[in-house]
Amino acid sequence: MPIVVHLDVMLTKRKMKSKELAEIIGITTANLSILKSGKAKAIRFSTLEAICEALDCQPADILEYIEDDKN
Amino acid sequence: MKDNTNILTIITWVVLLSAISVLLNDMREFDFNQFKEFQNWAISADKNEPWFTSKNAIQWSYYAISAGLFFWRGYLIYGFSYFLSILKEIENGNYFSENNIKYFKKIGNIFIQYTISVLILRFLLAAIEESTFNFFNELKAEFTFLIPAGLAFYILAEIFKRGKQAEEDNELTI
Repeated sequence: MPIVVHLDVMLTKRKMKSKELAEIIGITTANLSILKSGKAKAIRFSTLEAICEALDCQPADILEYIEDDKN
Repeated sequence: MKDNTNILTIITWVVLLSAISVLLNDMREFDFNQFKEFQNWAISADKNEPWFTSKNAIQWSYYAISAGLFFWRGYLIYGFSYFLSILKEIENGNYFSENNIKYFKKIGNIFIQYTISVLILRFLLAAIEESTFNFFNELKAEFTFLIPAGLAFYILAEIFKRGKQAEEDNELTI
């Protein structure tokens, strides 16, 4: 998938643990793990908003589009 | 929902048991003694005699086709038993499961196979009895509603396949 999730990087920058973030934004650690691993098929705006608020960042700090290597 | 499932399960069991008892009763009433002559003929038959043209062989064919009709009725009842499996899956909360898709396809297959096979057997039976066989009258007979019902189950299987995909997508939406 060409959308890469940089949640790990932001968590390290903010010195926050996954469990802590999951509690703040109100999702399970299992779901947060799915999001971090890039297995998620979609992300709700409400979740993105909560993550940005908790980590004090912009959506672009978490998500990045990297073009697939077609060769 | 659970109450509805329980009611449907009870209704399905009643229908299944009634169908089985009707089938068993029909089999019991079927006069196997009418083939006594054939059995005697089979013991003393001249092996050089062509069997296909023999009246007794025709009787044997009639017997085999009648047995075939009983078999297909049993197969149809077996198809009905899949309703119980679907209801069990629903009871466990697995609405769009792979099993339900499989069961819908199986029920569709059984309904269509039953209708086509019974039509063919009835045609053969009519040919043996030298009576007239009107294909369109047979198609109008009550059992042919199973063809649209079978197709409806194929459509349900496709809908459930899409439902399963949507459910998976929903589960992976964070």
